[in-house]
Amino acid sequence: MQGVTHSRWQAIRQGFIATIIVWPGVAPFGMVYAVSALAAGLSFSETLGMSLIVFAGASQFTAVGLFAAGANPISIIAATAIINARHLLLAASTASYIRTSPGWLRAVVAFQLTDETYAVGVQQFEKTGGDAWFQFGANLSLYFIWATSTVIGSLLGALIPDPAGLGLDLIFPLTFIAFLMPMVRDRVNRSVALLAAGISVAAALWLPGSWYVLLAGLIGSAFGAWFAGVTPKITPEEQH
Amino acid sequence: MNIWLTYLGMAVVTYAARAIPLLVLRNDPPPWLALWLKYVPAAVFTALVVPAIVMSSGAAGRVIAFGPAIPAGFIGALVAWRTSNAIITVVCGMVSFWLIRMVMGS
Repeated sequence: MQGVTHSRWQAIRQGFIATIIVWPGVAPFGMVYAVSALAAGLSFSETLGMSLIVFAGASQFTAVGLFAAGANPISIIAATAIINARHLLLAASTASYIRTSPGWLRAVVAFQLTDETYAVGVQQFEKTGGDAWFQFGANLSLYFIWATSTVIGSLLGALIPDPAGLGLDLIFPLTFIAFLMPMVRDRVNRSVALLAAGISVAAALWLPGSWYVLLAGLIGSAFGAWFAGVTPKITPEEQH
Repeated sequence: MNIWLTYLGMAVVTYAARAIPLLVLRNDPPPWLALWLKYVPAAVFTALVVPAIVMSSGAAGRVIAFGPAIPAGFIGALVAWRTSNAIITVVCGMVSFWLIRMVMGS
């Protein structure tokens, strides 16, 4: 039992530390969120409260905009559901790695599953196999930086008048490029990425919210499965 | 309605999207689903990257924007291809973004 407890703690710590790499991409968003929430008239506790209770960046930004516009709660909740629908796909993918873990642990992991911690988890699980405790540690790490950057943004917001003007919002896609590139060394994943790129841009032009992530994710990966099925097995030497 | 009740509703719909697949998909997935899920990461990562680089959102909604983010993203992709290192990628990408923006004078 001692050993089990120890390895759990180890996995949580590993996940927490592995996620520090995405902090620079997340912190500016947390700070900008806080600044815009306060500007929209939310109090400090309401601003931090949304980060702690909802914990989903894109939908928090949208909600702030809707609060500012005086939208009714039902439309804010509906917008949140639409924006966060993409988590269905992240959760299904994560489930394929950690489905043997106890139900309560998967229920806990689900609360803090985000784009960033999903990326950190998948990278680890592809190397070592699934580990729900690692995912939990990764999630805690992101929860920590999201809450911390919300507080820092609330306190220092006035000092960085225009973080988007500095181009700091580019850190997020750059971080994900670093996750993506090692993945597209084989032909199937490369085709998946090309198709997903086209679909996501087209869908982002025509559809609201982040439907484009769900759509490109579903169609791109389905194409990959089909393509892998019709392609003769690729030997490792041919992969690059 | 109280703002905290709105938060609660937001949290419930968000949690549902995150939890339902994790709680429902308990058995070995059928081979076709396993193969499908195998290619989800590349597809999702691409969808999180490409629109964020090539598009900007304004009052009129999202539009394709040919700005310094595109060459900076390309340089970031090359660096990531060679190094597989997120920190080096972000630093190179941001530095090239600022340099390109300076040169373009915007």
